[in-house]
Amino acid sequence: MTSFLLNGVAVSPVSPEDTPLLWVVRDELGLKGTKFGCGIGECGACTVHVNGRAQRSCITPVGAVAGASITTIEGLDPAGQHPLQKAWIAAQAPQCGYCQSGQIMQAATLLKDFPDPSPADISAVMGGNLCRCMAYVRIRAAILLAATFSRQAAAHE
Amino acid sequence: MTGWPALHVLGPAVWKGRCLRIFSVLAGLVLAGLLVFGWIAWYWPIARIPVPSPNSFPQNLIAQGAALAGAGDCAVCHTAAGGKSYAGGYGLATPFGVIYTPNITPDAQTGIGDWSEAAFDRAMHEGISRDGTQLFPAFPYDHFTKITPPDLHALYAYLMTLPPVSETAPQNTVRFPFNIRYLQAGWKLLYFHAGSYQPDPSQSATWNRGAYLATGLGHCGGCHTPRNTMGAEEVRQTYHGALIDGWTAPALTAANPSPLPWTQLDIFEYLRTGASARHGAASGPMSAVIHTGLAHLPDSDIAAMAVYFAAQNGSASATTGAPPAASETADQQQVDADAQLYANACASCHYGASQAPRAIRPDLSLATALWLPDPSNFILTVLRGAGTQDGITGVMMPGFASAMSDDDIVRLAGYLRRSRTNLPPWPDLAQRVAALRAASSHS
Amino acid sequence: MNEIAPRKNLSRSKLSRRGFLVAAAGGAVMFGFLKPEAALATATPSAVFEPTIWYSIDTDGIVTVSIAKAEMGQHVGTALARIVADELETDWSKVRLDYVDSDPKWGVMVTGGSWSVNHSFLLLSEAGAAGRIALIEAGAKLLHTDPANCSAQNGAVISEGRRITYGDIVARAPPTRAFTDDELSTLPIKTVGDRRLIGHDTRALDIPDKTDGKAVYGIDAELPGMVFARPKIPPTRNGSKVISIDDSAAKAVPGYLSSLALDDPSDTVPGWVMVLATSYPAAIRAADLVTVNWAPGPTAGVSERDIQNHAVALIAAPGGALLVDDPGLHAAFSNAASTLERTYTTSSVLHFQLEPLNALAVETGGVFEIHTGNQWQSLILPVLATALGVGQDKIVLRSYLLGGGFGRRLNGDYTVPAALAAKASKKPVKMICTRADDARFDSIRSPSVQTLRMAFDAGGRVTAMAHSACAGWPTLVMAPAAMPKAPNGVAYDPFAIAGADHWYDVGAQRVRAVTNDLANTTFRPGWLRSVGPGWTNWALESFIDEAAHHAGADPVAFRAAMLNGQGRNAGTAPNAIGGALRQANVVKLAAAQAGWGRKMPADTGLGIATSFGQERDMPTWVACVAQVAVNRQTGLVTLQKLTLVVDAGTIIHPDGALAQVQGAALWGVSMALHEGTEIAAGQVADTNLDTYTPLRMGDVPELVISFVNSTEFPTGLGEPATTVVGPAIGNAIFAATGARLRHLPIRPTDILAALAPPS
Repeated sequence: MTSFLLNGVAVSPVSPEDTPLLWVVRDELGLKGTKFGCGIGECGACTVHVNGRAQRSCITPVGAVAGASITTIEGLDPAGQHPLQKAWIAAQAPQCGYCQSGQIMQAATLLKDFPDPSPADISAVMGGNLCRCMAYVRIRAAILLAATFSRQAAAHE
Repeated sequence: MTGWPALHVLGPAVWKGRCLRIFSVLAGLVLAGLLVFGWIAWYWPIARIPVPSPNSFPQNLIAQGAALAGAGDCAVCHTAAGGKSYAGGYGLATPFGVIYTPNITPDAQTGIGDWSEAAFDRAMHEGISRDGTQLFPAFPYDHFTKITPPDLHALYAYLMTLPPVSETAPQNTVRFPFNIRYLQAGWKLLYFHAGSYQPDPSQSATWNRGAYLATGLGHCGGCHTPRNTMGAEEVRQTYHGALIDGWTAPALTAANPSPLPWTQLDIFEYLRTGASARHGAASGPMSAVIHTGLAHLPDSDIAAMAVYFAAQNGSASATTGAPPAASETADQQQVDADAQLYANACASCHYGASQAPRAIRPDLSLATALWLPDPSNFILTVLRGAGTQDGITGVMMPGFASAMSDDDIVRLAGYLRRSRTNLPPWPDLAQRVAALRAASSHS
Repeated sequence: MNEIAPRKNLSRSKLSRRGFLVAAAGGAVMFGFLKPEAALATATPSAVFEPTIWYSIDTDGIVTVSIAKAEMGQHVGTALARIVADELETDWSKVRLDYVDSDPKWGVMVTGGSWSVNHSFLLLSEAGAAGRIALIEAGAKLLHTDPANCSAQNGAVISEGRRITYGDIVARAPPTRAFTDDELSTLPIKTVGDRRLIGHDTRALDIPDKTDGKAVYGIDAELPGMVFARPKIPPTRNGSKVISIDDSAAKAVPGYLSSLALDDPSDTVPGWVMVLATSYPAAIRAADLVTVNWAPGPTAGVSERDIQNHAVALIAAPGGALLVDDPGLHAAFSNAASTLERTYTTSSVLHFQLEPLNALAVETGGVFEIHTGNQWQSLILPVLATALGVGQDKIVLRSYLLGGGFGRRLNGDYTVPAALAAKASKKPVKMICTRADDARFDSIRSPSVQTLRMAFDAGGRVTAMAHSACAGWPTLVMAPAAMPKAPNGVAYDPFAIAGADHWYDVGAQRVRAVTNDLANTTFRPGWLRSVGPGWTNWALESFIDEAAHHAGADPVAFRAAMLNGQGRNAGTAPNAIGGALRQANVVKLAAAQAGWGRKMPADTGLGIATSFGQERDMPTWVACVAQVAVNRQTGLVTLQKLTLVVDAGTIIHPDGALAQVQGAALWGVSMALHEGTEIAAGQVADTNLDTYTPLRMGDVPELVISFVNSTEFPTGLGEPATTVVGPAIGNAIFAATGARLRHLPIRPTDILAALAPPS
């Protein structure tokens, strides 16, 4: 049994410690927004936050996050109104949408580390997130838009 | 008296007598030698005492001892994986066999509860157990001998106030004749010099404090100095680096292969937080040293150690240097499939190129692991990742053992070595990866 | 935690669909309006106006549009609802989408071929118009005036300053007007100038749920009591037989239940074994530990080289379907001043849709329910019926969002093993493929060989052209009844030759389609985004470029001259009005936009390619200019820019159209420069992202996309842009370096080989 915080709520799933966090979150804890794409940490569809930083949950054993704070796409913002989510809708970024939870979660770490990202920063930090619909043009636009939302919000504080 | 050459003309009876005399003298010398050795090696047992009451130690002394136990990293060696703290049972793999650490909780039967302070001091200073037997130098008394008596006093207080645990360590598997403890005295004759730390008057007080911590309780040389065939540190190669538990403990001298020098600031950051922006995160055994050991020391002590080690590697006079820039462009990825693999699997966390190096985004072109002659540190980190308790606290790296084939890891290792260092390729990568994967799955 | 019923995506009408009249005839989608008596008989207290199966309006004025298409990234639901809503004059903010489960009343259920908008446009426009007319009549009555004095606007009927909403009309007096099919098909639909929604931008209705984790895909479906399954995939796609199963090692995995050799009367998954467990991680691990001893099928040793060599031999031999077979071809070649012959190849390509194949099957009360995303319910239902030994009326496919279709989910074979396992185990079975399973089970785009020949007269004019294409045929393997017959009497797969029947005036033309039977038996060839034109156009447009070079002509001028719209290339109504002239138009526009003809720096070049999208009966005219720089030392191709011009007639949802062209173009880039695999020992060699490398964020070039402003009939957009990118890149590499590549994908080693002096 491993205990951690999931979107702010204490949970103690009973899956064996070597179970990938992805399946614990999806099947034992019932949050389906995080997706399975490749199982080897190279498509990014499974991205969640561990203590606020993007991680590939398909290769993270649940035992490794004992005591940590996990955030999934459902918990990024209680009303789904995170600047990234608003930007994603404004830019009409998703096509099939299957990769987008992972894209958004990864983009959140990108913007935390690079609040004003260069094109090369975006390509490198988002390069591990595959979008098979190839919606990259709009994902990039949405990231830049979210960055301006955040800068505007910061300027008003 | 006739000379030796004339013996043969003296006749059988005389010849016999002379041989007997020669034999007797030789035997006498050997016997004398044994007696002298015995006299050196023999130690009286120190009488057992009733387990001291925890209340007999003042709180501030215990707290002081806790910090010192942290500096000495005692818990790391004296705790088995998944076992209770300080109850021993951790197996140290040595060339002579596996030596299991004893229980040093104040349990009367299985720990050191019946040890007087004198017995404790003698163990720390001279490597002798309470009952007079020699301790294996796997217990680094050659370093602990430097600890000052007041510090030992505080350490004793701390250990005696731990919760007692009843736990007996497994039998050592040291092979004959090395398992004859008595013979350790011979080792000590050759390699051990007892005595407290002597400050160097040509150095500052801070340097001396750092040296005292590093060479005494810290026993840094215990991992970072190569050992000879008898298992003793090569004193002429202090801090030149060594293998420990399958990991490389890198050189702490100017021979450290990291592309940027380890400045005093770097060392302080590393020993305090578990990571250096300009060098990478602590991994393997070093992580525990920092997080469960050195974490108990105040900033001033860490700073002192940083002063001492900066002097060891001469970084004060070295140029800081610009970090070698390396990041994948899409072009590289198209030409080099290994660059593509890195971009897909690693760059999302490890890229940092457009900014100054940050520990939170460990730039692999600066990572010591890529610059070592041995790829083990790199391979083990890829296989096992780093937990939230390793490196930077709270930050993790997943292990890729189940996600990557041996060939994937070989490709990654080869690619990073050639794209980020100017060193020759690592040989035998496929064989090393396979061997380390097998070893990892058993631990 | 687990919910009792699978979550659905969007609100559906809570009322049943009693009282519908559906005239389903000939497999085509039809609908009808209620006869007056039936309408009265079914008017319920909680009234809903359901004039057609395609939408309903409730007393709040909420319009729920039924979408019988797979929602897989193209925002088809939004586009189709826009068509309805524009004619219906409803308030767009009151529109909801209902993605329906399989049912005969929807007619043929298929989503692919870039068809949806084109095939539904008239149908839905008429449905919307009919509803508007009926509502105006009913509203007029309630407003005590004549319908001639009324108009409909934004969900209300208006007359001289008075207004009654659709919701109120439905509540007070649901319309009862009936329309015959003839009346429907002659209903006037709006002129371009009257359109309020079509052609104007909007936000896709499926997007918000895709940003907060709420969107539900097939892989997310759950049922209480379900068990998980992972397949053991046999060494060959066809013909492998299970000899024995050893699960002794798997028994040590907590959660492992059993291993089941499937008995499949439909021969969809021969040799499959399903490993069942109480959790998916346990199923993954247990399946790795189960050892199955198979007698492999006959293709266990087949390699990509075998398949391609076989294709070469087949092209050289007589036979095949002749789609186009103009007289005088032979003579034209005999009399030609010069001729040109070239052969082009493409490698195996994976679909790699990001949601791995999965299906959740359960039998309840004799009915099999299968929960999954699927693109062609009508294809797989009869197969499931055969597999399960029940009538199609006992099987229903519950619809979900697709985490990528791209044609993989046209082949619903993945539903069969889940259904068979559910039947055998009498439990709900959720089968999920790991990525490697998915790759090995993929219906790959077959590798192809194509040989093209051209005859020129002394003046460099083209007098004849022949194109032979050989590859695995998806339609032959999976839907043979759907194969049309060529004029020479041989059945052929249009999805394996379309594109070769181009709109150029080449004099005497021959188009020949040859099936690669070795490919057809080694794997089940798939329809992969842009299907035939995705690879026939690689050969065609590379060859046209080589022909232009041979004739000493500029590639743009050479093409434009042959796209003269003469004869059979004049185009027909409704879809192809303007014919080849519209293709010439986009070619010239793209060239102008890209600055064709300007001096380029060393080792940099422009290349052009064009296509008509999917099929001559529904052409989408596309042209693309690629700008590349080539590094002669490393073979690196840097794709700097793509300029695309698209004429797809009326654009329903402009922003969605742009997104589709962006995505389709990047698919073209990916298949040209970044991804490809090969068959080795009867299986695909690359099964995951460590070695199969579709295009990533950093590989995206500058994209300049524009649409021709057109009021012609809407055609398709999901795929056409894919067809032009590969050849544009190949032609640009030639322009930059003189090196001609004839194989996709193009790798740096290929560039270096092509640049090397002949040995």
